[in-house]
Amino acid sequence: MVGPFVVRRMLQAIPLLFGISILIFLMLQMAPGGPLASGEAQSAITPEKIERLRGQYGLDDPLPIQYLNWLGGLMTGDWGISYDTGQPVLQVITERLPTTLVLTGLAFAVSLLIAIPVGIIAATRQYSMFDYASTGLSFAGIATPSFWFGLMLLYVFSFQLDWLPSSGLTDLREDHVGLAAVWDRISHLIMPVAVLALIATANLARYVRASMLEVLGQDYVRTARGSGLPERVVIVQHAGKNASIPVVTIATLMVPDLFLGAVITETIFSIPGMGALFVHSAELRDYPVLLGILVIAAVLVVITNLAADVLYGFLDPRISYE
Amino acid sequence: MSEVHKATEAPGASEPQGENTRSLRAETWRQFRRHRLAVGGLVVLTLLTVAVVVGPWLLSDPYLIDARASDLGPTLAHPMGTDELGRDQLARVLVGGRLTLAVSAAAVLVALVVGVAVGAVAGYAGGLPDNALMRVVDVFYALPGLFIVILLVALIGPSFWTIVTAIAVLSWMNTARLVRSSFLSLKEKEFVEAARTIGASNARIVSRHILPNALSPVIVSATLGVANAILIESSLSFLGLGFQPPEATWGGMLSESKSAVITLGHWWRGLFPGLMIFITVLSANFVGDGLRDALDPQSAGSKGGRP
Repeated sequence: MVGPFVVRRMLQAIPLLFGISILIFLMLQMAPGGPLASGEAQSAITPEKIERLRGQYGLDDPLPIQYLNWLGGLMTGDWGISYDTGQPVLQVITERLPTTLVLTGLAFAVSLLIAIPVGIIAATRQYSMFDYASTGLSFAGIATPSFWFGLMLLYVFSFQLDWLPSSGLTDLREDHVGLAAVWDRISHLIMPVAVLALIATANLARYVRASMLEVLGQDYVRTARGSGLPERVVIVQHAGKNASIPVVTIATLMVPDLFLGAVITETIFSIPGMGALFVHSAELRDYPVLLGILVIAAVLVVITNLAADVLYGFLDPRISYE
Repeated sequence: MSEVHKATEAPGASEPQGENTRSLRAETWRQFRRHRLAVGGLVVLTLLTVAVVVGPWLLSDPYLIDARASDLGPTLAHPMGTDELGRDQLARVLVGGRLTLAVSAAAVLVALVVGVAVGAVAGYAGGLPDNALMRVVDVFYALPGLFIVILLVALIGPSFWTIVTAIAVLSWMNTARLVRSSFLSLKEKEFVEAARTIGASNARIVSRHILPNALSPVIVSATLGVANAILIESSLSFLGLGFQPPEATWGGMLSESKSAVITLGHWWRGLFPGLMIFITVLSANFVGDGLRDALDPQSAGSKGGRP
């Protein structure tokens, strides 16, 4: 049954999360000179102050103790204090997280809305102009670096045409009301979402097409057609249902990639999200913030993998749970 | 060597004995040549490699600052224009490409060595070592990839080998899984049993009998890995965390060009480096697809997705 399967997969995820947390924690120790190295380089900080900071952050404890302290804090909501701003890490992250989640969610929705119909149409008209064009575009999309795409969009739509704003989430020079405020929001999101959705859309369209082609070649589809059902019903209800099984899995696994890809998007368009925060913190070696963001990202990866497995079993009754 | 032949299970059983290994290679090449896009990709990649290796010697100095030639659009003298310091963009693209390709190739090689070693040990030993190693693979798969690369390079500092290592750390798992599953099935085959019977050591069985038969899927995965490594290196450089000026890979040139493109409209600064990444990645993907179809005829045809 589905229930025990879900529980077992969740139990398997726990040691995985432990493994990831240990690995992430160890990676942070690899910086030459340790966490305070960048601060030590600045002459403004006296050796005494560094000594005090080391004690304050528990950096003189043995590594396993440091790890357990950090893990304990993670569980109880004490994620440490940002070296940079002095604010609690959890607060710093939760301020930025919604922006990135909105970007990720919109990009995910856009890629589904484009890739599914395009993939289905390409598969039903295999070797048509539409099929060649969409397959060619997907190949191109997968090979396009997202930052280059973003830069070229900025050149065309911000510099040349001046249709869309080049950075931020809202117009800072002017307060808009009513419909203008709505457009202000949308106009700031169009290019970032397009950039983030590009590769996912291209990938997904190829999977939908391949999956659809495989199903359309099967006997039961021919039977459905032969029994006189309208083509629409055959494609959507009979073929679509089975073709969707692998597509749902692939689509779910794309969510973490979109979330991580937001780093690039947020950097190009100067959007204050979690990706931009991560790059900023990496440059400053703000360890507590880096650890916090990595934990959130790793949990997201593990949860989406779990969701993909569970959805797959749920959609395909042939999968055995043993 | 005859053990190897049996395991290749070449479809043409009527082919003369003793020529099997070569004919399998010839067959692969024949299949590959039918894939026109893959051949095109291979030609482009070859030309590109020659251009980035030889080009910088023939062209002007990529670091030469010439104030009289600053911010020029594409002309015959400067086919890709110049930047605000008057440096020739074509020369910079070639030198940057050399760095990008070298980093990507090195990262893929390192990942390949690690992946083959882990996969071979896991698959050949089986049991507890296999289980333990595969859990390690699971952990690495679940790492938030791009974030980890950014982290490692930001913390250790952007040297050639740091970037190579950071990319390789996140790229070896696929190879490990492929090699492991090949090993699991190959070690049960009769020719391995025969080798063991005549007293071949484990090292000899692995390196001479099993490994050569387990490499085809690895080659495909490595080719696609090059494309991936180029994109990661470019992203890193675009974020300003890669090689530091005046060295600039394609991603670094794009990063530097941002304000010139969107505030001054110097489109050539952004167009050409990005186009190079695009063409290289596209070609590598085509070659990978062609190789997969050639090495595994079963996957040829409608399947479009990456493994």
